Amino acid sequence: MNAIIILSSLGIIAMLAEMFSFKKSLWYLVLAGLAVVFVVNLLDWNLDTPEQQFKNMILFDNYAVAFGGLIIILVFAWFLISYNHYKDSELNVSDHFSLIIFSSVGALILVSYTHLSMLFLGVEILSIPLYILAGSMKKDLASNEASLKYFMLGAFATGILLFGITMLYGATGTFNIVEIGMYVQKSSEISILFYSGLMLVLIALAFKVSAAPFHFWTPDVYQGAPVLITAFMATIVKTAAFAAFFRLFSNSFGLIINDWNFILSIITALTIVLGNILAAYQTSVKRLLAYSGISQAGYLLMTILAVNQESSKMALLLYTASYSISTLGAFGVLYHVMKSKGSDSLDSFNSLGKTQPLLGFVMAVSMLSLAGIPPTIGFFAKFYLFSNLLSMGNTYLWLVIVAIVGSLVSVYYYFKVIIAMYAKEGAASPLMLTTFHRALLIIITGLIIIIGLAPGILVSMDNFKI
Amino acid sequence: MSKFLVALIPLLPLLGFLIIGLGNKKLSKTLVGFIGCGAILGSFIIVLSLLFPFLNGTAKGETLSYFDWISVGNFKISFSFLVDQLSVIMMTIITGIGFLIHVYSAGYMSHDEGYARYFSYLNLFVFSMLLLVMGSNYVVMFAGWEGVGLCSYLLIGFWFKNTEYNNAAKKAFIMNRIGDLGFLLGMLLIFTTFGTLDYLEVFSRANSVQENSTIIIAITLLLFIGATGKSAQIPLYTWLPDAMAGPTPVSALIHAATMVTAGIYMIVRSNVLYSMSEVTLEIIEIVGLATALFAATIGLVQNDIKKVLAYSTVSQLGYMFFALGLGAYSTGMFHLTTHAFFKALLFLGAGSVIHAMSGEQDIRNMGGLVKKLPITFGTFLIATLAISGIPPFAGFFSKDEILAHAYEHAPFLWGFALVGALMTTFYMFRLLFLTFFGKFRGTEHQRSHLHESPLVMTIPLMILALFSIIAGFIGIPEVLGGSNFLKKFLSPVITSQGAETYAALSHAVEYRLMGASVGAVLVVIFITWFYYVQREVRPAKEGEQISTPHKVLYNKYYIDEIYNSIIVKPLKWFSDKFYSILELKVIDGFVNSWGKGVNLGSSAIRHVQSGSISFYLLVMVAGIILILLINNLI
Repeated sequence: MNAIIILSSLGIIAMLAEMFSFKKSLWYLVLAGLAVVFVVNLLDWNLDTPEQQFKNMILFDNYAVAFGGLIIILVFAWFLISYNHYKDSELNVSDHFSLIIFSSVGALILVSYTHLSMLFLGVEILSIPLYILAGSMKKDLASNEASLKYFMLGAFATGILLFGITMLYGATGTFNIVEIGMYVQKSSEISILFYSGLMLVLIALAFKVSAAPFHFWTPDVYQGAPVLITAFMATIVKTAAFAAFFRLFSNSFGLIINDWNFILSIITALTIVLGNILAAYQTSVKRLLAYSGISQAGYLLMTILAVNQESSKMALLLYTASYSISTLGAFGVLYHVMKSKGSDSLDSFNSLGKTQPLLGFVMAVSMLSLAGIPPTIGFFAKFYLFSNLLSMGNTYLWLVIVAIVGSLVSVYYYFKVIIAMYAKEGAASPLMLTTFHRALLIIITGLIIIIGLAPGILVSMDNFKI
Repeated sequence: MSKFLVALIPLLPLLGFLIIGLGNKKLSKTLVGFIGCGAILGSFIIVLSLLFPFLNGTAKGETLSYFDWISVGNFKISFSFLVDQLSVIMMTIITGIGFLIHVYSAGYMSHDEGYARYFSYLNLFVFSMLLLVMGSNYVVMFAGWEGVGLCSYLLIGFWFKNTEYNNAAKKAFIMNRIGDLGFLLGMLLIFTTFGTLDYLEVFSRANSVQENSTIIIAITLLLFIGATGKSAQIPLYTWLPDAMAGPTPVSALIHAATMVTAGIYMIVRSNVLYSMSEVTLEIIEIVGLATALFAATIGLVQNDIKKVLAYSTVSQLGYMFFALGLGAYSTGMFHLTTHAFFKALLFLGAGSVIHAMSGEQDIRNMGGLVKKLPITFGTFLIATLAISGIPPFAGFFSKDEILAHAYEHAPFLWGFALVGALMTTFYMFRLLFLTFFGKFRGTEHQRSHLHESPLVMTIPLMILALFSIIAGFIGIPEVLGGSNFLKKFLSPVITSQGAETYAALSHAVEYRLMGASVGAVLVVIFITWFYYVQREVRPAKEGEQISTPHKVLYNKYYIDEIYNSIIVKPLKWFSDKFYSILELKVIDGFVNSWGKGVNLGSSAIRHVQSGSISFYLLVMVAGIILILLINNLI
């Protein structure tokens, strides 16, 4: 709870930086603030009676702390990557930073809500800054278009979410997700209003995590938005949205899983297939990562199908962490390539492995991790995810097969990048990496490989229960 | 026994490998040599501290567990070492001779640009070999087994700029892999039969299987196939002569003293299983004897100093297997031990000659080196006497024990084995006489460079010569007033019953056998001397007319050519066909059609992503309606 308050204050302070002209030191201030938020967040770990705040609207249980911690780390890493960008550019730093921080506040609310109105507020707080940030390259047509598209489709999805929440309230008389779960448990006959509400909420959340057939906004918005904002959307927003998705369904709808798992498994399969097939054709790496994000969302939905499994939370945490770290690594490289070559096409990656060995290596490791190839964290995350789903029996065997075939297809496009970097000839780029960025990229790659080699350090810790 | 100290034995060479390997370019030659030799010396000293308690009889075999290596369900492999009489003997040979050869190498390789690379490989080899003999289960042994195979490959192809050497390395590797497959299958069969791969557990459960049952025959035969690959027995022996492409100290360490004896160690280690399968023992006996004779005949006419020694090694390994096949496991180990000393010495001596001759290896171009290389000659002579079986040199006792076992088994076997021994004497003395006696036949340039090797090389020669003289004393038979110490020493490890009935021979018979063999050997030495020194007969030059049997032997029975035409060529033909038909058309077609399908689908669906918001909303709404519909239907 205190984490949300401090982070919000940090956002306000960032806004004041322009006025009181401490823009130069703002970046350091934000990092320090985030470190404080991280520690404060951890203080809520393993409390005997987790705090209920604001009349049962927010609950910082271990689930919230774990995902909140992950989100804060990712935001921290995002700020590290974007260091040069805001230092060198004419952009209004204080506005940008405060918007990013406010969006992160939304993400924290989404992992900790217990009340449907907080779900709604979280989604809005998360999204509205991003509508603005997506259009932050004011003179760029694609950026403006992305902003407008994101806003319009987002507004539409918000409408559906509110509609669904209203119906759920109408059926149950409560907004509290735990009480909704109790309603499901107690009532002998569940009204049709309830099911319709459930479906509408599911659709709205599917939109937020860019699952098919509600994924159309993703490629256009990801490509149009500035690359760092895309990185933010692809990692932090997705992690928060999935955490919210899982939290709602495990608390409220776990008992009637048979009423919605069919639809969700179709959505999952469709997302995996469409995301992977469409990615295969892309020639823009940014767009490729967008489609990769769609297909990865398909894999993540598999944790929600296993919502009643105790280990699903771990699977979700592991997979979101793996996906986000690897994607951040990829975007980190993409950012440098775009800066030096001015293009995000696959061709601009040609011979990167030779001209910029470090960037090439980081990108290759990220791609391998996203494709799920050992010894990276991505392999273990996929393995854990699949075995988690299969431990429920053979109901979803077909889905796992689809997912594995999908992964095979994904190898094709992830390797297109690696092949371009190592096997194709291209002009050398005049790129100079600062030591700071080098260290950052090495740390990200190190994490991908070390956790991949020794996943035990994450999964089998005795007191790490979420 | 300190767990930590024992762990250090293989760890020191591994550390040496890592330090030299990683610091390759930055370390000076002196430092490389110091680290490389020092690591092995350290191990050797620790091994000695283990050996003496065993010699006193105060220590007992012990299993030292370090950690669980693999643990999946019921399947558990621990990383653990078994230190007992057998592994201690092997460790002593590996680190002791290994150290001497490291020191020798420091001189021999001093002008080579790959000095550091050489020492890092050599240390890695010693590490792997120690793992092989120290492991307390077949998995650790297999890890070492593969490790020594890799190092052998790397060191045979050490001078990788020469394509022929690379081919020799590949040949060795591939033939070893064939054997390894047998070993691996044998291991898997052991696991499915006994449910464990730990030696002691397997042996204690051996009773659960009937003697001479199919399963025990299959296990032992498969393991033996592994041994034929590593220890160069028929039919997988042809890699060893080619392996002489590597630096000479490597031939001494890997291809004479240690790695090639891994197969013998493995069988002695598994003696409980082997004694349960008479068929396998018969096969080992036949293969061993056949290899011993076959390789010896080829050795008679070879002109490359290292090739002669290589065939001699194959032949001597055949003797060891022959002994094992007779059920005389400790005798096999005895010959392994003595052979390790005198064969390493022979190779190092040959290396010293080659060094002096500026790389020349053909004995037709040598001669008269006795004055220029006195130390090399002296030590080489001792080794030759040892391998020929002249008392009291080391080879006499071990070979005599094999012959006695053969006679006890069947007199005609003794006859065959003796013929082999006489051939050994002949080719060894032929080598000695042609190399060191007579007139110098090389070029003027070579003559001017002739010199005795530096002390760093000759001191190891002298130490090995000493052991070639005295190593046989560990197994003096009762008939000569000894007590066959080695046999008693190994008795806790060789637990199979009824195998060694050698004592059945009366002393009178034993005396007669010894007398006959020593007498015959002396006659052969005299003939050889008469032929090559007195009459100064010289081997035919390339292209000269030679008799047909001679030609067949000189061309090694055309075995390489036969293998080439009945195995390699058909295999190539098949793989060509498989490539052009199965791979290109069927598999590639199948795989590519998936790729094309994905691309096609991608390019088709791509157009749905039109960029128009109204269309997106339309699809979303259609999706929502569809979901609500489906939900109401089910």
